[in-house]
Amino acid sequence: MTVGGLGYYVRLLGVSIRTSLITSMQYRVDFVIQGVMSLLWTALAIFPLLVLYGDRTSVAGWDFGSALVVMGLFTIMRGVLEGAINPSLLAVVERIRSGSFDYTLLKPADAQFLVSTTRFDPWHVTDLLAGIGIIVYAFVEMGRAPGAGELAAALALVAAAVAVMYSLWILIVASAFWVVRMDNLSFLLGAVFDAARWPIHVFRGTWRFVFTFIIPLALMTSFPAMALLGTLSLRTALLSLAGSAAFFMVSRTVWTLAIRSYTSASS
Amino acid sequence: MIQVRDLKKHFKVHKRPPGLAAALRSVVHRTYTTVKAVDGVSFTIERGERVGFLGPTGAGKTTTLKVLSGLLHPTAGEVSVAEHRPQKRAAAFLRQITLVMGQKQQLIWDLPPAETWSLNRAVFGVAPAEFDRTLAELTELLDLKELSQKPTRQLSLGERMKCELAAALLHKPTTLFLDEPTIGLDVAMQVTIREFIREYNQRHDATVMLTSHYMDDVVALCPRVIVIDGGRLIHDGDLRALVKSMMPDKRVSFAGAMAADVIERLGRLVTQDSARTTIEVPEDRLREVIGHLLAGEGIGDLAIEDPPLEDVMRKLFKSKTADAS
Amino acid sequence: MPTMLRVGLAETIAYRAEMIVWILTTTMPLVMLSLWTSVADEAPFRAYTQADFVAYYLGALIVRNLTSNWVAWQIAEEIRMGTLSMRLLRPVHPFASFLATHLAALPLRLVVITPVVGILFLTAARDVVIDDPARIGLFVLAMAGAWLLTFAVFLAIGSLSFFLEKSMSLVEVYFGLFMLMSGYLIPIDLMPPWMATAAEWLPFRYMLGAPVEILIGRYPDAAAVAPVVARTWAWAAVMVAAAAVSWRAGVRRFEAYGA
Repeated sequence: MTVGGLGYYVRLLGVSIRTSLITSMQYRVDFVIQGVMSLLWTALAIFPLLVLYGDRTSVAGWDFGSALVVMGLFTIMRGVLEGAINPSLLAVVERIRSGSFDYTLLKPADAQFLVSTTRFDPWHVTDLLAGIGIIVYAFVEMGRAPGAGELAAALALVAAAVAVMYSLWILIVASAFWVVRMDNLSFLLGAVFDAARWPIHVFRGTWRFVFTFIIPLALMTSFPAMALLGTLSLRTALLSLAGSAAFFMVSRTVWTLAIRSYTSASS
Repeated sequence: MIQVRDLKKHFKVHKRPPGLAAALRSVVHRTYTTVKAVDGVSFTIERGERVGFLGPTGAGKTTTLKVLSGLLHPTAGEVSVAEHRPQKRAAAFLRQITLVMGQKQQLIWDLPPAETWSLNRAVFGVAPAEFDRTLAELTELLDLKELSQKPTRQLSLGERMKCELAAALLHKPTTLFLDEPTIGLDVAMQVTIREFIREYNQRHDATVMLTSHYMDDVVALCPRVIVIDGGRLIHDGDLRALVKSMMPDKRVSFAGAMAADVIERLGRLVTQDSARTTIEVPEDRLREVIGHLLAGEGIGDLAIEDPPLEDVMRKLFKSKTADAS
Repeated sequence: MPTMLRVGLAETIAYRAEMIVWILTTTMPLVMLSLWTSVADEAPFRAYTQADFVAYYLGALIVRNLTSNWVAWQIAEEIRMGTLSMRLLRPVHPFASFLATHLAALPLRLVVITPVVGILFLTAARDVVIDDPARIGLFVLAMAGAWLLTFAVFLAIGSLSFFLEKSMSLVEVYFGLFMLMSGYLIPIDLMPPWMATAAEWLPFRYMLGAPVEILIGRYPDAAAVAPVVARTWAWAAVMVAAAAVSWRAGVRRFEAYGA
C-alpha cells in the first residue's frame, strides 16, 4: 500500500470516522444529552421568530417561512461546526499545548488533513436532522416545494458555506502556533456565528458589511436559503462560490506558513 | 546511517521582563536574545549502531533529535538520515524513522491502544498482512496481549510506554530516535524496555539513538556514546574508553571493619558505613590491594567495579566547564 | 480578606486578555439589538419603540457582564484535577475564597462596560433610562441581588461536579433555560402571557430581566419596583442555602472517595 493519493486519504478518513464512532459509543448518554440539546436550542432559536412574526408578516423582506429556512440552514451548519469541525480543532490545540503535536508532524500524511480529521462528534447528527426538519416544515407552511435546480444550487452553496466555515476555523488553529491560548478566540467566533440564524437583510450598515465580507455569515446561511427559495441572483451565487474557494486557498497558505514557523522556531 | 556536519540550531527568544509596565513596553519594543541550542555538532552513525546521546539538561539533546527527525529546520549545517534530508519531511523518510518521546504520548486516551495502532497502520500505509506480522512480533516481545484491548487511560505508566513503543514501531522503521523512553518507569520495566530495544535493533539491524537520565540504560545498551554540553560535542566514542580516560581507578568495596590509617595506605576512601567500605584504587595496584584485603581479618564480600557512569559524567561536565572559564 | 481580594485582582489581571475576549463573546444582545431596531424602525413593536429596544439590550449587556461568573467551571476543574484539596485545607470557607476572586474581578468589569454605558447615554435611549434617586437606589439593590443570585446558582451547579462527571453539560441546559426565561433573548413583556407568568415565578428573570426592566423605567415608581427587588433577594437567599447544602454533601463525598 502506498502513501498519498486520493484513495489513501479516503481510507484515512474512513479509519478516523471509525475511531470517532468507537469513542462516542463509550459515552452513549451523550447521545441523549445531545438530542435534548438539539431540541432545546432549536426551540430557543425559533422562539424569537414566533414572537416576531406573531405581530408582523414580513421583516426586511423576509416572511415567516423563508426566515424559517434560514433558521434550518443555521441549525445544519451548527451541527457541521460542532460535529465535524470544532472537535478536531480543539483536540489539535490541546496537542499543540502539550507538545504531542510533534507526533502529527512525524506522520507521512498531509498535516492539515490529519489535523482536520482528528475527531468527529457523531451525535451532532441530531442537529442535521432538526435542521432538515425545520426546512421541510417551512416549505410545508409556505405550501410549495423547491425545484431540482434550486435544490442543486442550494447544495453547492452549502458546500461552499462549509468550506468557508472550515477555513475560518483552520485560521484559528494556525494562530495557535503563535498564541498558545486561543480557545477563547474560537468561543468568540462561535458567538459571532450565532448571528447567522437571522437573514442577512435584518442587519444594517456596519453589521451587514462585516457579516457579508469580513466574517461571511451571509454566505453560510442566507445565501443557501435564498438559493433554495429561488431568490438568489446567479451573480451572487457565482461570487459566493468563488469567494469561498479564495477563502479556502488563503487559509491553506496561512496554515503552511504556520507549520513552517513552527518547525523553524519552536523548541 | 546518520550523518551530521557542523549542525547549528539557534533560537531567537523574546525576553519577557517581569511587571505590567514592562510587559506593556515590550509590546512595542521587543528585545530578543539568541539561544544557541546546538552550536556546531558533527558525527556519523552507521546503520545498526546503538548510540547513547548524553548531556546535562539543556545541552541540546532533544533539539538535535528533533532536527534529525525533521521536526525542526537546522539553522546551519548538513544533516542526512537514511539518505534523506529530514527537514523536507518526505513520506519516504518518515516511514523509515520513528521518534519516541517518553514525556509525550500519541495513544488515544479514551480508546484501547489497538485503535491507535490501526490508525497508524492506515497513516503509514502498512499492508494488512505485514501489519499483522509486525504486531504479532511486537506483542510477543513486549508482552502486549493483555493490554491491547484495555482503554489507554486504564494502563499503568509502564504498560502505556510499551504500547507507545509498539505504536511507534508498527511501520518497522530502521532508524529509532528515543528521547527518555524509560522516564518515570520502575526498574523492572526499565529492564524490559531496554531488552526490547536491543532485540529490535538486532532483529532489524536498526540504528538506535537514545537519550536517558538513567545511566544503567546507556551502560546496558550503548557501546558508543556521544556527549554534548552547551550545544557542543565534548565526547564521541567507546563508552568503556570514556570511563577509563575520565576515571581510571577501579572501585573496591568490602564488608567488615578496617582501621582508617590502613585504608589510607590502600586507596582513596569513597564511602564508609558500619557494614561496608568502598575505596578507589589505581588499576596497577589492584592486585596488591586485593591480596592485602583477602589476607585481612574479618574482611569479606569483596567486589571490584567500574565507577558509576553518573560520576564519570559529573566529572566530565565539571572539567569542561572549568576549561571554558 | 483584603489579601484575598488583592490576589484575586492580580489573578484577573493575569488573565486580562482572556477576560476581554470572554466579555466580547456576549454578543447576543448586540445581535438582538440590531434585529429589533430594524424591526421597530417604522412603527413600535407593541409597547417597545426603537429607543426602548436599544435601552433594553444595552441594559442586558451591562447586567450580564456585571453579574456573570465562572465559578462553576472553576469548581469542576479543581475537583477534576484534585486541587480542591488545597482549598479545603485553608482555614477559610471555600465559598469566601471564591467570592473574593469574583468580587475582585468587578472593578475591571466596570471599566469594560463603561463604553456601553456611554453609548446608552449618547443615543435616544437615554430618555428611557430612569433618573429618580429612589428607583436608582432600588436598581442598585436589584443588581446586587442579581449578582448574588447568579453566583449562588453557579456555586450550586459547580457543587454538582462532586456527583456527576458531566456536570458541565448541565450548564448548557441551564444556559438554554436562562436565555429563554430571563429576558436575555426577548423582553419578558413581549412573550406570550403564559410564558411571562412562568418567568415571574422562576428565578431566571431576577438575574437579568428584572434589573433591566427597572433600569429602563418599565415600572412607574419606587412602590412598583420594591416587590421585584424583594423577590430577587428571596431567590438569592434560597439559592445560597441550596448551594451550601449541596456543597456540604459534596465535600463529604469528596473526602470519602478522594478525587
